[in-house]
Amino acid sequence: MNILITGISKGLGLETSELLLKNGCTVYGISRTKTEELNELMLKYPNELKWLQYDLGDIERIRQIIFKDWIGLNTPIHGLVNNAAIAYDDIITNLNLDLLEKMYRVNVFAPMMLTKFVIRQMLIHKESCSIVHLSSISVHTGYKGLSMYASTKGALEAFSKNTAREWGEIGVRSNCLVAGFMETEMSSALSDNQKNRIYQRTSLKKPVDLNSVAETILFLVSNKAKSITGQNIHVDNGTI
Amino acid sequence: METKLLEIINTVLENRTNEKLTSLRPDMNLRYDIGFDSLDLAELTVRIEAEYDIDIFEEGIVNTIGEIFEKLNRK
Repeated sequence: MNILITGISKGLGLETSELLLKNGCTVYGISRTKTEELNELMLKYPNELKWLQYDLGDIERIRQIIFKDWIGLNTPIHGLVNNAAIAYDDIITNLNLDLLEKMYRVNVFAPMMLTKFVIRQMLIHKESCSIVHLSSISVHTGYKGLSMYASTKGALEAFSKNTAREWGEIGVRSNCLVAGFMETEMSSALSDNQKNRIYQRTSLKKPVDLNSVAETILFLVSNKAKSITGQNIHVDNGTI
Repeated sequence: METKLLEIINTVLENRTNEKLTSLRPDMNLRYDIGFDSLDLAELTVRIEAEYDIDIFEEGIVNTIGEIFEKLNRK
């Protein structure tokens, strides 16, 4: 299976890429930077891991650079994992439009365009395809300072459900993985006190395990999940 | 170009096990004469783009075979 995944230089993207590779997938991974950990993974899987340095804020060139020049229209894509995202956190009265627009480009518009071109590629190859968008528990449970970020993920959830409905008949599945708070760079701006308060709101009272999220993504892109589409799958330590 | 376009349209028609076309006329309507629905038209667009590098739907809806020829000739 050929899987396109974004944001693979660290955190969940890196963990998921490694898991996909271990399970025999060919990974087309995109990130802005190449970290030491990513470099190690590339050395371990020189043929199976294909890497492109690309800033997803550059939406206009996605088709040309990612699909035409890099993957190539002759390569079928069986899975898309929209993982890359930026977090612009602040209270609403401080909302800065430029920062909000930048976040929407990366978190919403780029995943929508990637979905567009993955489906178009799929129409040529006629092989089934599974799309997984990374969403966040902040869509479903309010947190102070996360309203702007949460709104980008809410947009993805709506987009995913409608993608599932519109393209299901030709074999496209689309689901969102609703992740709870993990110990990644994304949440590193939070103080220990803030993090502990967030973890106390979960049933399991601790950060969500990265590997558990990655395993669920692997499941959703695989054929084992072939009857699952249009869903939001919560991996959030029971935030209820 | 006409033979290639006919071939592409017949490939898309295979989805519906519709009868293949033997020729194309400019006045043929993609939906009403050929029987394409919106998903077939999406596939048609992508196949034409793969062959000619033109997105025929980029500037709005295309209704007839003649309009496709026009777009391809403009390149």
